[in-house]
Amino acid sequence: MTTTETTTPVAPDGTTRKDVAQYGLAGFLLVVGIVVLIDAAGLSDGFADQPVQPYAFPYVVGAVLVLLSGLLAVATWRGDVPEEDDGEDVDLTQGSDWATVIKLGLVLVIVIATIDFLGWAIVGAFLFAASARVLGSRTLILDVGIGTALSLLTWYGFYSGLGIPIPAGVLDGVL
Amino acid sequence: MDLLLEGFATALTPENLMYAVIGVLLGTAVGVLPGIGPAMTVALLLPVTFSVPPTSGLILFAGIYYGGMYGGSTTSILLNTPGESSSVVTALEGNKMAKSGRAAQALATAAVGSFVAGTIGTLLIVLLAPNIADVVVKLGAPSYFAIMALALFTVTAVLGSSKIRGFIALFIGLAIGLVGTTTGQQRMTFGSPQLADGIDVVVVAVAVFAIGEALWVAAHLRSKPLDVIPVGQPWMSRDDWGRSWKPWLRGTAFGFPFGALPAGGAEVPTFLSYITERRLTKHPEEFGKGAIEGVAGPEAANNASAAGTLVPLLAIGLPTTATAAVILVAMQNYGLQPGPQFMDAQPKLVWGLLASLFIANTLLLVLNLPLAPVWAKLLQIRRPYLYAGILFFASLGAYSVNFQAFDLALLLGIGMLGLAMRRFAIPVLPLIVGVILGPRLEEQLTQALSISQGDVSTLWSEPVAVVVYIVMAILLVGSVVMSRRTTPPAPTRTEDASMDVNA
Amino acid sequence: MTSSARKATLVALVLALLAGTAGCGVTRGGDDPNNRRLRMMIPNSPGGGYDLTGRAAVKAMEDDDITGRFEITNVIGASGTVAMQRLMNERGSDDVMLTMGLGVVGAVYTNKSKATVDKATPIAGVVAEAEGILVPADSPYKELSDLVDAWKKDPKGVTIGGGSSPGGPDHLFPMQLAQEIGISPRDVNYISYDGGGPLTTALLGSKIDAGMSGLGEFQGQIDNGSLRVLAVSGAERLENVDAPTLMEAGVDMEFLNWRGILAPPGITEEEKAALVEIVTEMHGTKEWKAALKRNGWIDNFSVGQDFEDFLEEQNDRVASTLKELGLA
Repeated sequence: MTTTETTTPVAPDGTTRKDVAQYGLAGFLLVVGIVVLIDAAGLSDGFADQPVQPYAFPYVVGAVLVLLSGLLAVATWRGDVPEEDDGEDVDLTQGSDWATVIKLGLVLVIVIATIDFLGWAIVGAFLFAASARVLGSRTLILDVGIGTALSLLTWYGFYSGLGIPIPAGVLDGVL
Repeated sequence: MDLLLEGFATALTPENLMYAVIGVLLGTAVGVLPGIGPAMTVALLLPVTFSVPPTSGLILFAGIYYGGMYGGSTTSILLNTPGESSSVVTALEGNKMAKSGRAAQALATAAVGSFVAGTIGTLLIVLLAPNIADVVVKLGAPSYFAIMALALFTVTAVLGSSKIRGFIALFIGLAIGLVGTTTGQQRMTFGSPQLADGIDVVVVAVAVFAIGEALWVAAHLRSKPLDVIPVGQPWMSRDDWGRSWKPWLRGTAFGFPFGALPAGGAEVPTFLSYITERRLTKHPEEFGKGAIEGVAGPEAANNASAAGTLVPLLAIGLPTTATAAVILVAMQNYGLQPGPQFMDAQPKLVWGLLASLFIANTLLLVLNLPLAPVWAKLLQIRRPYLYAGILFFASLGAYSVNFQAFDLALLLGIGMLGLAMRRFAIPVLPLIVGVILGPRLEEQLTQALSISQGDVSTLWSEPVAVVVYIVMAILLVGSVVMSRRTTPPAPTRTEDASMDVNA
Repeated sequence: MTSSARKATLVALVLALLAGTAGCGVTRGGDDPNNRRLRMMIPNSPGGGYDLTGRAAVKAMEDDDITGRFEITNVIGASGTVAMQRLMNERGSDDVMLTMGLGVVGAVYTNKSKATVDKATPIAGVVAEAEGILVPADSPYKELSDLVDAWKKDPKGVTIGGGSSPGGPDHLFPMQLAQEIGISPRDVNYISYDGGGPLTTALLGSKIDAGMSGLGEFQGQIDNGSLRVLAVSGAERLENVDAPTLMEAGVDMEFLNWRGILAPPGITEEEKAALVEIVTEMHGTKEWKAALKRNGWIDNFSVGQDFEDFLEEQNDRVASTLKELGLA
């Protein structure tokens, strides 16, 4: 990489710092790798006498993931630091604002939990309005209005336009 | 040629022209949505075969197919939300271009590239359809395995600055690709039938690109007011044209044969094209930040592949994609049976269809090129709305596949992965490639070795396979020589990465 | 709020109102209580076999005003296992049906799902399709007996391709055929292809020795002589295919890939009778007869005890085949 990012995480005194969170990624890889391996171990021989058994690929993938996890941990210990993804809308000069991420995640969790009951028309409007608000919009009525319009339009677009019966949920009989 | 002119006469009747317009519009609309694609749309429209004459019906379906291939790219570029699996690669550079105010150019190069590729592809159908049948069926599992292996090998060229992160991405992708019951046993499904068919690459791409991006932006909201994304020039500059035309042609060269091959598809040629452009470009510094070649090539590739699909369909009645399979059902509803005699027995229909493909291509260009600057303005809406809209759209797409909350949970789960990938600088392309290629590589290997009863020599028993392995060897030697020449004392991986930090 | 934002609010509200009133009541509004909206679930994607069957049935019912409107939903996943699960979740609903068939019976076993077909309410069997045994034109197997002999001599050496994954009809047929002629299903070298297209390619390129599948997708190749049909699996010959039945070719078995309609568990006898009645009426319509002919389906209509017995027999047979293979 030849480009110089403005945000390379170099501590003020000029020494590189370790990215401790990267051990978390290594841990995640280890867990995934082990899950793949355990899953592979639980597979029996295929339905016919196959030369490539169903567990063959998973063993390879799982083993390499465990290996990569180890390599990453070593690299992290030796001071390897990721170059975070920059972008137009991303301000890396400030610390990460995980509270906003959690709020946005919560919005999505609420959507997932309620969509079967409330149906797309309501949940879609909520999704738009709530995520716009979390992301900094302060015009509640407008947000809800746009969200409602979007979700109703898409709902009718599917149901009447494409003839795909998207569930109406609690609004069945109303829409 | 007379036949083709007659074909145009058939296709240009007001009625058939209308069906072509409806087709491309409908195709574009469904191509835009991640959940539904051209295959499903054609299938839902199958009942029209009862009321519409065959030529018009097939013109409509072909329009949907071409339109869908195009529509998927629009949301890839504008919203980082690919509508079809063949548009996933387009998002890599396309969305970066859009973010830096070059959305109109990205959309334009996609439109013109699709037109060029579609037109060349249609010409190739005319030339090749009668002769290609024999070649297509000669390729067996060993050849496909070799081709998939070559594709996987080329990915190592784009692992990014940190090889270890590239491999992490690739193997997470392969792990995702393991999910499902293709082997007859449940792998990584955790007992859930919803996972039995595996995780669709469109879901993975939408989650990693769109949801991951929205979460990442949420974590780093700019505290000061944002500049609106500049609109920039509405049209492609001379330089843009100069940089686009070669990728268009190369993309076509990748896409067409893959489309014509029964196990080819549209995804593999798009990323082969991307990788090639990235290697050949004179502006390597722009890749990853919005290089126009990275949009032009893959977009040409996916449209050329759509054209290629029609070759085996018309020549031997062989569908190579889901959409082609449904179009075949439509033909059978009309009592038509494509095959070697089809082009002689039904000249009016076949040439009318081919002529309408030219027309569909032209229509797509005429409709989309003027719209490019209009769409580009869409990005000027306020940031909260832009990202809320992306979340809304991505969720609708995932939900519309099956109307179950499970798919949304999957989207969120993989979206978190996308967030982590941004935080730890894990490249996206190897992951997507892993998801696409892993299952195919395994399937072809299993098939080849089952047929040969475990005799490994079957893998190089087909000439195409041998050629592919030779190419792979040449590339391998070439890349070793190249890296010797360019990087004096090769640093170790970790040093490599830490050097970046101090750079 | 700026004036432009206020204007936008207004526009959005008007839009919302418009959308709200314009399409008001598409879900239920106009339904006559005696002629209600029903729902039909299809366990695979549009264009597939269940989809064609289910949609043809629904079209016949709607066109002849046997019922009110139908909502058709494609519930895709695990060859029908997800749809079966959803049918179980609809316990007690009297307005929903599922088009299913042999492949779904097998899929719930291979996916180790608890939503087996014997738990649902059987409504009717509707259509069936025979499977065919296909070989390339230049294959050494001229008749079924040639293939059977070669297969018995070296079970693993004969590669059999099919268009469905394990548990599907194209997989169950060769397994049951093998059992019938004295080959252990575990020795069958079954290559699973992703549908008719790839299977056709493999056959045309002589990559496999024989293919087993419904013949609809192969009509073109059969007609032009590039593929040969050694036998068809039904009790009678097919109109448009010049090939003997298994019985005629010396193998004492019959195999049909059938499709039928189920309702959720827990509905009352009256509710069940109402659904049986509309499906029976559907079976008598001209539209349905036309659909049978167009798609080359065998009329396999049965309701009541007949269908229940049939379903149970199929369920047991599939379960035993798959258990022998270690798949259930």
